[in-house]
Amino acid sequence: MRGDRLLDVSERWFRLLQRLYPADFRDEMGDAVVEAYRDRAREALNRGGIIRLAAVWVRALVDSLRNGPGERARPAASWRRRGNWGRDVELATRRLRRAPGFVLSTVATLGLGLGLAAVVYTVVQRVLIDPMPYRDPDDLYYVWRDYGTIADLKRGMLAGTDVVELQKAGGVIEQVVGLGRQLQTFAIGEGAEPIEIPVMFTSPGLFDLLGVSPAGRAFAADEEGPGGSPVMVLTHELWRRLGSDPDVIGREVRLNNRPYEVIGVLPRGFVFARNESAGPPQQADAFIPFRVRLDEADPRDGSYAGLVRARRGSSPEQVAAAVEAVGRAVDERDFDGRGLKLYPVGLKSDLVSGIRPALLALALGGVFLVLALLVNLASVLLARTAQREQELAVSRALGASGAAILRATLFEGALLGTGGGLAAALGAFWGTRALVALAPLDLARREAVVVDGRIAGVVIAAGALVGLLAALAPATWAARASLSSLLSSSAVRGGGGHGRLRRGMVVAQVAVSLVLLAAGGLVVRSFERLLRVDPGFRPEGVLSFWVRMPPEFFPRIDDVLALQDRIEEELAALPGVTGASATSVLPLCPRPLPAFAAARTYQTPVRFPGAPGNTGDADRDAPLVDRIGARNTYLDVMGIRLLAGRPFDPARRGAGEALIDSALASQFFPTGSPLGAELRIGDRALTIVGVVRPARLYDIHRDGRPQVFVRAEGFRPLAFVLRTDHDPRALIPDVRQAIRRIDPRLVAAEIRPMEELVGHSLRRQHISAVLLSAFALGALLLAAMGLYGVVAGAVMRRRHELALRLAVGADHRALLRLVLREGASLVMAGVLMGAPGIYFAGRLIRGVLLGVTPLDPLTLTSVAVGLGLVTMLACYVPARRVLGIDPAQLLRQE
Amino acid sequence: MGMDRDRREREHLPLRRVEFHILLSLAAGERHGYGIIQDIEARDETAVPDVGTMYRALARMVEDRLIEAAARRPAADAGDERRNYYRITDAGRRMARAEARRLETLMRAARLGGLLAKATK
Repeated sequence: MRGDRLLDVSERWFRLLQRLYPADFRDEMGDAVVEAYRDRAREALNRGGIIRLAAVWVRALVDSLRNGPGERARPAASWRRRGNWGRDVELATRRLRRAPGFVLSTVATLGLGLGLAAVVYTVVQRVLIDPMPYRDPDDLYYVWRDYGTIADLKRGMLAGTDVVELQKAGGVIEQVVGLGRQLQTFAIGEGAEPIEIPVMFTSPGLFDLLGVSPAGRAFAADEEGPGGSPVMVLTHELWRRLGSDPDVIGREVRLNNRPYEVIGVLPRGFVFARNESAGPPQQADAFIPFRVRLDEADPRDGSYAGLVRARRGSSPEQVAAAVEAVGRAVDERDFDGRGLKLYPVGLKSDLVSGIRPALLALALGGVFLVLALLVNLASVLLARTAQREQELAVSRALGASGAAILRATLFEGALLGTGGGLAAALGAFWGTRALVALAPLDLARREAVVVDGRIAGVVIAAGALVGLLAALAPATWAARASLSSLLSSSAVRGGGGHGRLRRGMVVAQVAVSLVLLAAGGLVVRSFERLLRVDPGFRPEGVLSFWVRMPPEFFPRIDDVLALQDRIEEELAALPGVTGASATSVLPLCPRPLPAFAAARTYQTPVRFPGAPGNTGDADRDAPLVDRIGARNTYLDVMGIRLLAGRPFDPARRGAGEALIDSALASQFFPTGSPLGAELRIGDRALTIVGVVRPARLYDIHRDGRPQVFVRAEGFRPLAFVLRTDHDPRALIPDVRQAIRRIDPRLVAAEIRPMEELVGHSLRRQHISAVLLSAFALGALLLAAMGLYGVVAGAVMRRRHELALRLAVGADHRALLRLVLREGASLVMAGVLMGAPGIYFAGRLIRGVLLGVTPLDPLTLTSVAVGLGLVTMLACYVPARRVLGIDPAQLLRQE
Repeated sequence: MGMDRDRREREHLPLRRVEFHILLSLAAGERHGYGIIQDIEARDETAVPDVGTMYRALARMVEDRLIEAAARRPAADAGDERRNYYRITDAGRRMARAEARRLETLMRAARLGGLLAKATK
């Protein structure tokens, strides 16, 4: 049987050719293909013999060469065959590409919303969560003094002697540095133009304690104290400002006209700030070792921050116990056991404690905004899926499994989410820059607030997750919906089970936006209250700046007094200036320039011997007050109100006069007048000549410590203030010139309008208010969009029913009410759902609310009214379409 | 909704020539692959698809559930050898009808345009 053998050979040839096909195709179809060729070969042999058979062979070769690689080159086919995700990728991208408007609007919404949330996330991550950039930062602690019953000061600076005691303690306390900070006059060389820079005075071990090594070298242990060599380490920023001199190390510079040798420059980006007993941490441009002996300092004079490195692995409790033990010894020795305490606070929590409540409130807002976005995206995707009902029906009819549709829809959501996340990361990159520029100057760690790859990654992943979660609802709906219901519901045009789901989402959106609106409203109201608060002075039109008159230049106090008179005179003579004076402490800026010699002791106990308000309790009768030095016309220029008596008498230079504030007056002289009574600061007796309303030094919204004004004659660095009828900024060049004209060694530092200081003190609340209200308005907009969609869909879906109603006699107004009622019921359900959220959100943001209770009725009412108006508008606009229904025409169409 | 249907038809119709042939053959009853090729030859088609082309199309159409595999059984013309038989599904029938209608519309247009002789009826 030669024919059979030829057929066998043919079959082997055909099997060989099968190798050109991909394996999965071969497995499935290989035998059938070979059989078909065998049939063809047999036929050819029967009809034309070997020549025809050869033709079949050649044709099979050509066929396999074409189709085999063809099948391999169409990976989509094999994806589909395996039900692989790749197929879904292709489907989803193709579908999205066909709807660029939808993609653009969705990605933009997501990008904007997630971007806002990402900015907040970045700040929270950087400020609250990321470790400080020092060696083993969790082992670093600041130590503070709690004066207990001795004085009203819970977070006081340490005395030099405390630092020395801590250094001697040992045990879990491995290393301790004291930190002082002062503004100093710096010059790159003798005769060079001076600048005022903040300088940190420190124990030599600071850089070792932080784990940073300056280029050049750090301080040596014997460089501390009066006998130490004058050496200085510059920050990278100061080095740059001085011209990035590569040979700066070893160079001699001048500080307060004394020579110092530059021995090191800190690395770029290294930031260290001294935490303060009140107010924001303070940075410095240069570091020098202490020039004084800390163990000889006055124990009652708290002026140093104490920074402790604990032994590795020691618990905060151990550190606290060790520090408290030192505190008890200090209390016994220096305070007769009256109850002074020392306590440590972890470096980071100490730094961020002030900003934490605001950040937590913002983080909460961010989470809610993301929730609102999630629900919005889910409902948009659901609407889109519902539009594709028919397409889905056909896909199912063509055999697409529920799982495949689920995958495709999920993937579409994830793709959109990732796009939104990308846009958000990009937006956050710019957003954080803008925020840092606007942020309060005391935003802790503001230099660290940057979007990097890690944060961008988290934001993008969050976007993808939001997309996936949002797609979950429509995906399960589409996959679960049975074929018959899909086909039939597409027959009735766009009805279907997704309606209930979408209405549920709108309810959730309304609930979320209600909570956000309430939170935002409370913060805005609290901010608005702050704006209207009376700080106790009139900042408009006042320019302030500091002039140091260091003893190096003016050793004799008489020279200083003459200088102060001269400066005041020259300033008052400037065109446009209506008054000029000076003080030792500016309102809202208690340490603007830092621990000056005088400013160090401005918190002091006072006594009122013989005053009726004395109780006999020594500590209560000697309250700690802010001692403020003021020149004669200061009250007038600053706009501080004199409630009784008179200001200082210009004719009586050096007289022992004092002004007290209304709080002291009512405490010690509850019935009579304090005028003429005696006030003692230490051993010095002063006569009270007036009572003032205090100008707030610390927080704009509440009184600080009681205040005592004394004549400014003993104070060296003074803040001069000018009042003008015009823009105070316009005076700045004249002021600089005037100061230089008086003495070229003098510098007008930190020239700022008082209004700017007020603005700075409001910035945190301002930003919280702006961000939270942006979140809230965003959520409200999303809810309105959701409502609009639902109501528009309802009108579309029910238009036949509505037309019928019209036909049987209902009027358009009745229909409008009918449709509006549906929207209103959704809003009501959302409000009911969100109401408990208001309560919890209010509790959480209580920390940032000033003068507003979390359940402020006015705020909550206006939020409710606003929400009602916006949502009803969102219902009304699409509902108006019922007015256009012409029953005759519509019913005829059917 | 009408728009959506149009879009779907744009995507799935026209069917590829080999796919329409397969549906045509299977509409008349179950066939195996080579049988379909023989049907096509019998329809005086000028370009008969190759075996590879045919089976790739069959594989794809099975996935799309336009056709499905029937039980293997002996081929009518090949003794006891058993073959893969296919049959048309409802979806396949609908799709074939839609394609036929589309072609019919084109024919009508061709007649009206004078390209073909007017129908005698």
